[in-house]
Amino acid sequence: MSSNEYSLEVEGLSKSYRMYQSPFRRITEVLSGGRIKGHQEFTALSDVNFKMKPGTSLGLCGANGAGKSTLLKVLAGTTAPSAGRYRMKGRVASLLELGAGFHLDFTGRANIFMNGIMMGYSRREMEGKMDEIIEFAELGSYIDEPVRTYSSGMGLRLGFSVAVAVDPDILIIDEVFAVGDMYFQKKCVDRIYDFKRRGKTILFCSHSLYDIRQMCDDAIWLKNGNVAAIGNSVFATNEYTSFQRDHIGTGSGTLSDEYPDIPGSETRGKQLPRIVDARMYLIGTDVEAYEIRPGDSIELRVWWENPDPKGTPINIGTGLLRQDMTTCAGMGTHLDGVKLEGPKGCTVLQMPDMRLLAGQFLVPVLMMDGEGVHKYQEYLMPENLVVRNETKELGLFRMNHTWEHRHDLPVPAPKAVI
Amino acid sequence: MSKTSPPPADSPPEGSPSAWVTSQPPRAIEILRRLIGFPVMVVRHRDLITSSVKRELAVRFQGTLLGFLWPLVHPLFIFAVYYFIFTKLLSFKMPNLQPGQESAMGVYMFIGVVVWASFGESLGRGCNIIVENGNLIKKLAFPSETLPLNIVLVNVVTMIFGVAMFLLATFATPVWKAPGIELLWIPVLLTLQTLFTYGLVLILSTMQVFLRDTAQVVAIGVTVWMFLTPLFWVPEAIPQIAQYQGFIEANPMNHIVYAWREVLMGVESVLGEVLNYTNDLAIPDHNGKLLVEITRLVSEGSTVEQARAAVGADLVPLSMSHSLIDSIRIFACWAVGMFVTGFSLFSLAQRRFADEV
Repeated sequence: MSSNEYSLEVEGLSKSYRMYQSPFRRITEVLSGGRIKGHQEFTALSDVNFKMKPGTSLGLCGANGAGKSTLLKVLAGTTAPSAGRYRMKGRVASLLELGAGFHLDFTGRANIFMNGIMMGYSRREMEGKMDEIIEFAELGSYIDEPVRTYSSGMGLRLGFSVAVAVDPDILIIDEVFAVGDMYFQKKCVDRIYDFKRRGKTILFCSHSLYDIRQMCDDAIWLKNGNVAAIGNSVFATNEYTSFQRDHIGTGSGTLSDEYPDIPGSETRGKQLPRIVDARMYLIGTDVEAYEIRPGDSIELRVWWENPDPKGTPINIGTGLLRQDMTTCAGMGTHLDGVKLEGPKGCTVLQMPDMRLLAGQFLVPVLMMDGEGVHKYQEYLMPENLVVRNETKELGLFRMNHTWEHRHDLPVPAPKAVI
Repeated sequence: MSKTSPPPADSPPEGSPSAWVTSQPPRAIEILRRLIGFPVMVVRHRDLITSSVKRELAVRFQGTLLGFLWPLVHPLFIFAVYYFIFTKLLSFKMPNLQPGQESAMGVYMFIGVVVWASFGESLGRGCNIIVENGNLIKKLAFPSETLPLNIVLVNVVTMIFGVAMFLLATFATPVWKAPGIELLWIPVLLTLQTLFTYGLVLILSTMQVFLRDTAQVVAIGVTVWMFLTPLFWVPEAIPQIAQYQGFIEANPMNHIVYAWREVLMGVESVLGEVLNYTNDLAIPDHNGKLLVEITRLVSEGSTVEQARAAVGADLVPLSMSHSLIDSIRIFACWAVGMFVTGFSLFSLAQRRFADEV
């Protein structure tokens, strides 16, 4: 087949930045015709190769500064590659930052207009899309207020609504749909799914490995600008997490992804509680089980460490999430009043007679604080939980139910109308 | 695959991939293609350009008390100050004017100020435009060459207010006689001035990205340039002007300002009215005497060309002595040259903007 079957081809793509310590050095370099080198090269991305077919999606994961955003920026066309090449087929829309180009003095409506026009839409197209965008943003009467009166969440809603109104063949997203409240996030995820279903190519980066596993067929793990792993999304994210697991506690400093909310100075230098490992077993056995049937009994074992059990009370939470982010079950030690004491341990969650019906479920394991509010860590299980069904039952789970045939119950008399 | 909107003209047809995007800077042929395609680019992004210009105007004047009168206030004040200094303090009087024509020097200055206010403001603001919009350039893929264009157009619009106000004054009041058919040149002058300013702003805004000292130099340069351009002084009235004439001729702004004056004040007026006072300035210079003679002939009813012919070919050509067509022609060369240079430079540097801002 010809190369035309691909919607995106990237060959040997590299990006390096020139850093000048002072304008004087730049002038010297220019005036000497490049003979006096005044800059230092900083390589943000080196030798990235991949190809994507229409209807597929690719996720990028990796630590901060690994080159994820750089790669997206290059592909979005805002900056040129330093080496290598890429080409695309079809219309490209990129969403590198929500609300880039919003003007605070203008109303939401006016900003939708301007933003769309900057993305290459004509006045008429934007007029046609306006109602759809406003409906999606659900900002009510705020849409006609200046954007400076918006809360940050409302600004994000507006930005995302404009961006997804674009109907591109290739969509490039830089970690932006973790926006707004849960309700809006769900809407965004649905919209992205919709893109995928319609055969569009999606490329996005995220610190949420769940998102990557769920939404992407393939994934790339970037490490210091290099491709450390490329393959299907479960493989690449597993490589990334196992690397993190190996390096946790060694102070390599690249673990901020797994500790997204470390509040500055208070916890710096202090060892945080963490999940060492978590696996799913058939109940009471040492048989690991990730493919099960409804009615199976399983247990989740979580090995954890808490260096400061006195000062840092911890809780462990977990849940079963369907692919569209519906939380089918959520369990937490704080909800059930279980105390986790001591510097380390293995906590087992037994789930006898598992009632979920067919589907693929994510099992996030969370290390949380004493109140079960703040997440210290989101641990990613090596595999998703797959439930296979052998009956024709419908729905999300098997309701506890029985059927019965009765003759002693006549049709009740109609109620008197008041 | 459902498509609610047609792809823009530059995206390849369905089924064929776009050309490879490489690390190589654009070649000469690509730059040439973009230069030729510039009008197409403007038409394609007309909505972006018009709404940006509107927005910029709205940002500047919306919510202010005077609103869209503000673009006039600034040149009016500059004009008032310089008028006072040059004609009152420096006794730059025009004693031989006909009654009702005392305003000649004022009108002469006002036109210069209106033109310069637009040009100078474009350079001052435009120089920073890429750096200012760094976040946009980093986050949105859009034609960044529209950013400098917006600034230039905004100032052209404010200039049109000034010109309109001048025309209104000439038609409604006896301050100056209303111009006639020459007004048809206005679109040409506006286009050329826009092209020239845009080219220069493209160069300056590109330089500013790589060397932040540019804006400072431009601020000084615009002021110096303003005084070197005959806005507040009449070159023909200066005795020693002949030795600086090449210098004056080399200043493109001299030509456009001259053209504006001829269009708005009338050719005859420039010679007959404004320069009348050269009589009293007792120019010892040969050229000055000839000018006085020309002026006399014109006032007796000959045309400028006839008067020049009668005086003879000794007249050293001064900037004032070439015709409207000549000034427009010279400025058009400048405008096209500046635009081609600026646009090519910008096209070469554009891909590096996101890394530098």
